[in-house]
Amino acid sequence: MSSSAPPAGRPVFTGLGVLSAFGAGPAPLAAATAGGSAAGFAAVTRFDVARRGTRRAALLADPPPLAEAVLGALADACAQSEPPSGAPLLLALHSDLHTREVAAEVARGAAALGLAGVARVYTGACVAAATAVADAAALVGSGRHPRVVVAAGHLVEPGVFAAFDAGRALARDGELRPFSSGRSGTLLGDAAAAVVVEADTAAAARGVRPLARLAGWGRSGDAHHVCRPRPDGAGVARAVRSALARAGVAPSEVGYVNANGTGSPVSDMAEARALREVFGEALSGLPVSSSKSVHGHALEASALLELVVTIGALGSGRLPVNAGWLGPDPEIGLNLVLSGPRQDARPRCALSLNSAFGGANTALLVAAA
Amino acid sequence: MNRLRTLATVRWPDGEPPPPLPGFPASTFNPLVAAVAERCLAAHYGEPGPPRRTGLLLASAGGDRATALAIDTAAAGHRMPPLLFFQSNPNAVLGYVAARWQLTGPVVAVSPPEAAAPGEVPSDALELAALLLADGDADHVLVITAEQAEPAAQAGPATQAGPAEAAEATGAADRAAAVLVAAAP
Repeated sequence: MSSSAPPAGRPVFTGLGVLSAFGAGPAPLAAATAGGSAAGFAAVTRFDVARRGTRRAALLADPPPLAEAVLGALADACAQSEPPSGAPLLLALHSDLHTREVAAEVARGAAALGLAGVARVYTGACVAAATAVADAAALVGSGRHPRVVVAAGHLVEPGVFAAFDAGRALARDGELRPFSSGRSGTLLGDAAAAVVVEADTAAAARGVRPLARLAGWGRSGDAHHVCRPRPDGAGVARAVRSALARAGVAPSEVGYVNANGTGSPVSDMAEARALREVFGEALSGLPVSSSKSVHGHALEASALLELVVTIGALGSGRLPVNAGWLGPDPEIGLNLVLSGPRQDARPRCALSLNSAFGGANTALLVAAA
Repeated sequence: MNRLRTLATVRWPDGEPPPPLPGFPASTFNPLVAAVAERCLAAHYGEPGPPRRTGLLLASAGGDRATALAIDTAAAGHRMPPLLFFQSNPNAVLGYVAARWQLTGPVVAVSPPEAAAPGEVPSDALELAALLLADGDADHVLVITAEQAEPAAQAGPATQAGPAEAAEATGAADRAAAVLVAAAP
């Protein structure tokens, strides 16, 4: 993945495409998240769930094959950014018996769009796409590439659904209630998304106005457990601090957090503690939500889907609602974005957080262009 | 790029079954990753100690096919063993390694298009390790590659055989290697 050395610049987003349970494009997704819509979740009819404890997910009514879904988002992002000719594609997919086949099909489609094929496939669960974005930023920021494209896709399928159900990771009551009292787990969701990460200097040279800046990014490991989060949230806090330090942004400048917020009792608690550690008393005034409560958990695509939501919130000032809320968990103590009238200031900087199996944590800090 | 200093390198002996890894049934993949990581980390660090800013990067072209097959088979059958959830992603075993050795750097899993030659790690994985080191969230990166022998993937969830029996039954050999790297001065 080497290239000639173009001038280094700060990473910005110049193209974006998304497919979610609400359809293609960022507009229906933004409307759903800003309104706290529950319409994305429905009974699963795509495959047999009669033996599962949980039977709901956020699904597209008529999903295309996974590679086609990814290529659709990719085409939208590339069209918005003008064809990023020769740019490498970093792709996030679930690791299973079909990964290579899907990646090969995406590579063929990407080549037709003028990209340099799939440079790398990330399979690191729920941080896969965020890891790819961080690497894209590192490649752009260090001058190795003027533009790098990141794409991801996940369509709910019977194997992963059954495994998550057996592992008691899915919400027993069929509702995704991040940070709420009575939360009992997550719900899966369909998504494909793509972004073009470009050096600000390259975008300026093309006369392109960025959608947003990727001001900072951070990654850490919990060093705690195979899949359970470190209870004190120290790993998440380190990732957030790394992102803030890289950006030279003070915690007080962050105006919104799109939290990982899977709806898991222990994971949400650990994340809340991490935010308390980083933001201290200021956390009480910091709007936080998990947009998973609206679009579901898209696993390997989740971080890119939520990044798209976060970029949209920066642009519109309409913060995603933390849906499924039943009431406060006294140990959480977050200023959650709930449905109803709010007086939030339009954020200039926002964090998008993700955590995964293996104790992996990522933080992406997005700033208005 | 790819200016790296090698701190330790280990090749898992072809055909030598790794010790069973509690909590990771139905596949040789995770025990193999854990075993080769253990040997490589021990070669440089000696024993697990205080937290280290070491990242973990697993590169496998084939991935954990036995677990993937076990999950698909179980989903089509009557019962999904709960433990398959915990190993449904290659990151999971990295969490085991990180917890045992207190490694707090980034945790990354990738699937290169082609497996590396036996005893080597994919060149793209080394390039990614260099990028991670240059990016600043890790002082060292342990790069692990593991490829499961194709026939072992036929050992579905109903198979109670351990990794040794699976390898013996198929006559195929899993293979793995690991290298611990730092940025070159």
